[in-house]
Amino acid sequence: MGVGFVNLIGCAIILLPIYRYNSKKVHIVKRFSLSVTYELLFLALLSALLVGCSAPSSGARIVYGLTLAPSGIDPHVNASSELGIPLTSVYDTLVYQDPETGKFVPGLAERWEVSEDRLIYTFYLRRGIIFHDGAPFNAEAVRFNLERITNPDLASQKARFMLGPYERTEVVDEHTVQIHLSEPFAPLLDALSQVYLGMVSPAAVEQWGDEYQLHQVGTGPFIFAEYVPGDHLLLQRNPDYAWGPPVYSSRDAVTAPRLEEIEFRFFKDPAIRSPALETGEVDVMGEIPPQDIARLEGNSDFRIESVPIPGVSLMVFMNTARQPLDDIRVRQALLYGTDRRAITSAVFRDTSPVAHGPLAAVTFGYEPAIQKTYPYDPARAATLLDQAGWSDTDDDTIRDRDGEPLVLDLYLMGWGYMPEVGQLLAAQWSELGVGVNSQAVSYPEALQVASEGRHHLIPFNLSGSDPDILRKFFHSQANFNWSKVDDPELDAWLEDGARISDQRQRVTLYSQVQLQVMDQALVIPIRDYVNLNGVSNRVQGLLFDAQGWFPWLVDVTLEN
Amino acid sequence: MVARYVGRRLVQAAFVLWLAVTLAFVAMQLTPGDPAQALLAASGATPDEVTERRTQLGLDDPIPVQYARYLLDLVRGNLGQSWLHGRPVGRMILEQLPPTVELSLAAMVVGVTMGLGLGILAAVRRGTWLDTVATTVAVLGLSTPTYWSGLLAILLLSLQLRWLPATGEGDLRHLVLPALVLGFALSGSIARLVRARVVEVMAEQFVLAARARGLPPWRVLFVHVLRSALAPALTVIALQFGFLLSGAVVTESVFARRGLGKLVVEAILWRDLPVVRGVVVFGALAYVLVNLVADLVHAWLDPRLWEELT
Repeated sequence: MGVGFVNLIGCAIILLPIYRYNSKKVHIVKRFSLSVTYELLFLALLSALLVGCSAPSSGARIVYGLTLAPSGIDPHVNASSELGIPLTSVYDTLVYQDPETGKFVPGLAERWEVSEDRLIYTFYLRRGIIFHDGAPFNAEAVRFNLERITNPDLASQKARFMLGPYERTEVVDEHTVQIHLSEPFAPLLDALSQVYLGMVSPAAVEQWGDEYQLHQVGTGPFIFAEYVPGDHLLLQRNPDYAWGPPVYSSRDAVTAPRLEEIEFRFFKDPAIRSPALETGEVDVMGEIPPQDIARLEGNSDFRIESVPIPGVSLMVFMNTARQPLDDIRVRQALLYGTDRRAITSAVFRDTSPVAHGPLAAVTFGYEPAIQKTYPYDPARAATLLDQAGWSDTDDDTIRDRDGEPLVLDLYLMGWGYMPEVGQLLAAQWSELGVGVNSQAVSYPEALQVASEGRHHLIPFNLSGSDPDILRKFFHSQANFNWSKVDDPELDAWLEDGARISDQRQRVTLYSQVQLQVMDQALVIPIRDYVNLNGVSNRVQGLLFDAQGWFPWLVDVTLEN
Repeated sequence: MVARYVGRRLVQAAFVLWLAVTLAFVAMQLTPGDPAQALLAASGATPDEVTERRTQLGLDDPIPVQYARYLLDLVRGNLGQSWLHGRPVGRMILEQLPPTVELSLAAMVVGVTMGLGLGILAAVRRGTWLDTVATTVAVLGLSTPTYWSGLLAILLLSLQLRWLPATGEGDLRHLVLPALVLGFALSGSIARLVRARVVEVMAEQFVLAARARGLPPWRVLFVHVLRSALAPALTVIALQFGFLLSGAVVTESVFARRGLGKLVVEAILWRDLPVVRGVVVFGALAYVLVNLVADLVHAWLDPRLWEELT
């Protein structure tokens, strides 16, 4: 209000001389009738400009900054985390995960049953839900969605694989639907709670075909209004929304959203994110660079909402199949010789927790005992290297054995501050007499290097709320088995963890996995991922889902 | 006469296009990394499922077969579907084209204006402090990376002075900063070229003759010197179009604008061959056409050239 008023005065001061100057000129011409017309025109123009200047402060609109222009935004087809940030508000899911308790709560399904053999999930759907295009949501829609996702022609990059051993969907009646699996799959509810398995309108899919992603239709709190790829994505309030899960709101009941419009825009360059917030061009900005945090926190117009992301922490995989890392003493030496506190402090400005094991501390099944495994102990690291036969015999500060220097190939992808982390690791290890040969690689190249086992070390991280994510990294057949581990025990625990749905049993299994991973010194954990959101203090009521990435925007209000 | 010349140039253009898409294909083959693996690894697909996707994308076929399909699609006018986005490439390019063209043209205007101004100033006041200043500015433009000058411009003009919006697109105000930054980078090479040409022409006999006839200096400069000095500069300026397309990549990223640059960078990172092919065809086509038009205009300005060309 105050700002608007000052603005108005400022505009008036600028515009008044223009008006006066022009009216004078007209009087000199001395054409009375014309001058009156001019004056009226100018008054009209002036008032129009003043209205423009004072900018409507109705305030029911926010601009939300994303950090990438997502590569395709069909949630069933594409895989980026970025797409879920806007689309979580467009789609509803069958179930939701409570970020506080980790429990699954009703969504589009008001309740569900799992068969004795854990192969059939029966969902009883909530009634009276309609898509944004007016079509009713029902069991047939669920079947259509799951068939669409699993159809090979869709070439799904993520949703298909989240469904694991999915077999088929059966419509029992208008509001009852059964999902059949070929074997038990514990992470199914976790998958069904994510936007990638959100329920899309069958009619819209049929109408738009391969351009559906520009015309998305869901049942969620906001309507997909306009998408100009690379520029912006506009959502508008769904006034009929009345079926949000209780977790959507900090209040007693979920009602229709309070914001009228949300515009999402894309800010790929990290350096520009804070300035865009500070110029008022955006109200919420994800992934603020850590070095900007102090500056924003010193500004009373903004706050930082720091959301810890569950999943696999940023960690450096050690190739156990390649000399000299095939020797566990060398791997342990690197663990003891890494000062993670110094890294999180220098690179992440203490915004991220230090990681001690493969799972981020906020992930279900996290084993706290892991924190004691490898304290920073350079002396011990040196002893282990000595024991392994590596010592500096030729006085070139690099240890060697049988004439071969201890130099490790470290491959670094350009994102997630991996290059900076790599630099600090190299500096810390040089004190131990370990040389590092760093190389920058793209993601596809890293995948190839790692699958061929040409690396010693590669850092990586991946988000996900179910501990089954460990199977992608430590199972002998995993895509990201970058430690080249082949441990029957690990394989068995990870397979059981995916099958058994008793949560207590799963916790035990994953605890064993985490301890084993550290016992075998397969990785050097660095930090847990944290999504640093810069938020204008105008914006209130912002919540994040259990994945940590996706905002729940139903409850957001604007304060002036 | 003109028609035959243009016809010959168009045949050359077809050859250039073929060369460009072939080079793009070879470069993508030489770049390590498997697109199917990149698309699916993080999703938890099994190795079998990755292999299946690779077959689906036709990546298991022998390279000559892939190349033939790559060219044939193009000849049929089918740009195909993005592997990453799952959308038709032609439409993706059309979406991203307008802002890139807009930025390139605006930067061209800024760059040519600044480059001409600096170049002429430096040439006319050769050896004075003005020359030094103008040349220094030109070298700065030439050597300052746009991700840095862009950030500086945002910090100063948007954040401190609040004159212009920092990011995005929309009205003309959004275009000013990126056009200034990219145009500034472009002005350096134009200024140096213009300075050299003007200095050269000013030493010629006909300029001396014009001066001897007692024409005012501005008339000598604008009517006699510049006309002769700038005609060849035109073709060089047209060649800068390529620089603009590549410069737009970085500028788009700094100013959070959409555009072809971002599209193709992402496509290369993800080994999204159909998109790379589409953008290369578009870029090469635009480049060839711009240079053809520049040559025609040049010949129109300097009729002697017709004899050489035709």
